[in-house]
Amino acid sequence: MAHRVDHEYDYLFKIVLIGDSGVGKSNILSRFTRNEFSLDSKSTIGVEFATKTLQIEAKTVKAQIWDTAGQERYRAITSAYYRGAVGALLVYDITKKQTFDNVQRWLRELRDHADSNIVIMMAGNKSDLTHLRAVSENDGQEFAEKEGLSFLETSALESHNVEKAFQTVLTEIYHIINKKALAAQEAARNSGPPGQGTTIHVVDSSDAGSSKSSCCSS
Amino acid sequence: MSSTPAGAPSSEASSTPRRSFSSLRGFRWRIHLGVLPTSPTASIDDLRRVTADTRRRYATLRRRLLLDHHPPKEGDASRDLTIDNPLSQNPGMHELLAPLLYVLHVDINCLFQLQKLHKDCLNEEFDRISFSKNDLFDFGARNVRNWESGIEATNGLDGMSNDHFTNELDPETRDVLLLCDPYGAEGELGVIVSKCFMEHDAYCMFENLMDGALGVVGLASFYSPVIGSSKNMPPVVEASSALYHLLSIVDSSLHSHLVELGVEPQYFALRWLRVLFGREFCLDDLLIIWDEVFSFSNSRFIGDDAEYNFKVLCSPRGALITALAVSMLLYLRSSLLATETATTCLQRLLCFPQNPDMRKLIEKAKSLLALALESNIFSSLSERNLKKNKLAVRRFSLPSGSALPMTLPNVVPDSYWEKKWLVLHKDEEPKMQNFDSSSSVMTKILTEKLSLSRTKSEPLEPEIDRAQSPVSRLIFNETSAGIETVQDSYQVDESPTILNVNATNDSPVELEDESTYNCSADENILSDDDTSVLPISTYPLDHENELEKSNSTTSLLIDGDNEDTINLEEHSGQNIKSQFTQKAETTSAVDGSTEEKSLAAPNAWRPLAGKLQWLWTFSRVSDKENQGSHPPCTMGDVKKNNLDNEITDETDYFGINKRIERDTKVMDALKNLGQSMLDNIQVIESVFQQEKVKFDTFENLSSNILGSKGQTTAVSALKELRKISNLLQEM
Repeated sequence: MAHRVDHEYDYLFKIVLIGDSGVGKSNILSRFTRNEFSLDSKSTIGVEFATKTLQIEAKTVKAQIWDTAGQERYRAITSAYYRGAVGALLVYDITKKQTFDNVQRWLRELRDHADSNIVIMMAGNKSDLTHLRAVSENDGQEFAEKEGLSFLETSALESHNVEKAFQTVLTEIYHIINKKALAAQEAARNSGPPGQGTTIHVVDSSDAGSSKSSCCSS
Repeated sequence: MSSTPAGAPSSEASSTPRRSFSSLRGFRWRIHLGVLPTSPTASIDDLRRVTADTRRRYATLRRRLLLDHHPPKEGDASRDLTIDNPLSQNPGMHELLAPLLYVLHVDINCLFQLQKLHKDCLNEEFDRISFSKNDLFDFGARNVRNWESGIEATNGLDGMSNDHFTNELDPETRDVLLLCDPYGAEGELGVIVSKCFMEHDAYCMFENLMDGALGVVGLASFYSPVIGSSKNMPPVVEASSALYHLLSIVDSSLHSHLVELGVEPQYFALRWLRVLFGREFCLDDLLIIWDEVFSFSNSRFIGDDAEYNFKVLCSPRGALITALAVSMLLYLRSSLLATETATTCLQRLLCFPQNPDMRKLIEKAKSLLALALESNIFSSLSERNLKKNKLAVRRFSLPSGSALPMTLPNVVPDSYWEKKWLVLHKDEEPKMQNFDSSSSVMTKILTEKLSLSRTKSEPLEPEIDRAQSPVSRLIFNETSAGIETVQDSYQVDESPTILNVNATNDSPVELEDESTYNCSADENILSDDDTSVLPISTYPLDHENELEKSNSTTSLLIDGDNEDTINLEEHSGQNIKSQFTQKAETTSAVDGSTEEKSLAAPNAWRPLAGKLQWLWTFSRVSDKENQGSHPPCTMGDVKKNNLDNEITDETDYFGINKRIERDTKVMDALKNLGQSMLDNIQVIESVFQQEKVKFDTFENLSSNILGSKGQTTAVSALKELRKISNLLQEM
């Protein structure tokens, strides 16, 4: 029953999937991580978890995705889930106006509980259901611009834009991290050597690298 | 019914306990869930009347809510059906209802088969009786009379066939047929298993399951975010903490690993609890689990005014649910220990393996039940008691906690510890009367309330065959309840003489044994009132030794190590095994083999084993902090590392017991130990240094799992470690 320890990534990012119940969060996730879609999938209880490793600008990024239940009554418990999240995919259903209206509340929730630098992508899901559309793409776009969010319309069923949505979020996070790492390196160079005499390679081991460091080499 | 000719036999039959009804699961569940009377003296008529009443009640409710719909009255929160409507999309609730409906449906099929069988039988009887008596007219007249009043018809039938027919049926089948006779009390409405009233029956079960039927655990509370219990925690969060509480007692290393990764229990337990494991198991397995869960009483186990830590642990049913969850964690133990991020860990937790060994899972859960209940009560007693009990509990539970996960075919650990405690128990038995300890009271309650008897569990069977010594044979023949085992553990602490008793009874040679001698002496120094030297002196010994050798930060693996040890030992032959099993008798039994092996093995570690005994106690104290500091990534490697070490060093461990080593060597070894600790500390520190930099650099925008709080505790743990290593090096 021994499990191989997985070191094969350069970065480890936690992404949360949020949005009202029934907008298709779990199917977006299963489409992204397993390329599966289920019309009668069970509703999420609490949180579900998935990971996917992908390449971003020649670096291996492992995305850990936390798919939270959309029910209002679960929020008391889910608030802790935002801890450590660097990205969020905020999903609404283009056929249900209400879910779009609630995006504002989800944003508030993110601001209350998540890191202020969290990268947010808003996704109008079920874009395949054009005949039932209740929220125009334009409305989504405008709202996103106003709130400073990335925006895409997706269809988990048709596998449209799902990969791209995650890729966009992860790339943006990667850029931010990278930029900060460089700045930190600069700062470190200026502020003299750290204590304990240990050399720290910030760039190589940034973030996910923490678990790759030398602690098992005894 | 008693007013009829058939009254005597039938009332006799119905007054005997007939609660097994193995073929009618739904019926059993209805009794367990409190829908039908639980009292064994309830007659068939009683059952039928209650059944009819519940159905009437549901019909009224349904009419009120669906037809004369109006908003529910205030203050009726526990049955707020507009919100907790099973038909709504609320995730979970309908998943609780579905299995209930399913078992009712199966019951109906069962009954149908039974009735079909019975009908043939009845017809035969009917023909035979009527023709043999050659009294068609008489019978006809009686029959007509019977048709006039439903109830009497049954009884007439009963009376008629009394001599020939009823006696051929087993009482249970007979009861079932009476319970499902449309002409019994309340007529069709009183038919216990009825296709017409499946909806009603399912609702009644569901309702009791959700609101707990005046008991402790109502699943509805797991859906409510606000109705807090003691500490204003939502009940589901509180129940989740209870789960970790129990886990920390039985397997502190796994517990710390999860905590360290930031895996909060409600992340996975929310789903486990809300649908009562419904998403973790296939239907067949789920039904087995629910069988167990429902068969335990949900009524409050401790006094109303008694203090407790976790509400869920106040009833045996709640405790079993918690214990099951812990059992599941232990089942995944090695898999979980190998994870290095919260996400992967949670992924595994929420993807429980298909076709698990159900018997093992449930047995483990049951073995934790008494502990779960006790830990809830005892921890509310005085600080001193708490400490004592915790020690005892740990001793008892560590090994069994480790027994479950990794060895499918190998059940030695379980039985080994059981044996161990039985030995102790035997020694202690005469003394027991002297101690009117709270634990014995507890045991009494447990025995009465739970009728908890593990008796001779199956895994023991092969052991019996293999056990060579007559002593162990004797022990195995003695069946002992799981509770007794727990009590024993308390007994250890209560009795200051246990060590002597143990030593004397087992073998005089043992007194010469350095390790035992040391450990007893040191224990006494370290804790004046605590003589918990116990039967497992070999266990910590071994484990500490290994811990050191593995040369890495691994107290996380305590249990695993122990288990591996035992496995290995199993492979290494009968002699060693018996040594381990009855450590006191090692000298005579294992002499040959150990001598040989110790010759072959390097000496270096031997003194450590003995000397480290007290260190073990010491390290225990700071255990938690230590574990807080382990870098998550080492698990897999360390595990392997450890195993290797064991394979090479196992043999030399067995030589240790009898060795008396000179001090210089000991000191060297201690210095080595100190040095290696220091090395480890530096490694960990360097890791933290990196982390810290990152924290500062990225302003928390990182997926780092160690929160700043975790970091501080880890750092303080490091400081402790450093002190210990300094201490060691100075020696």
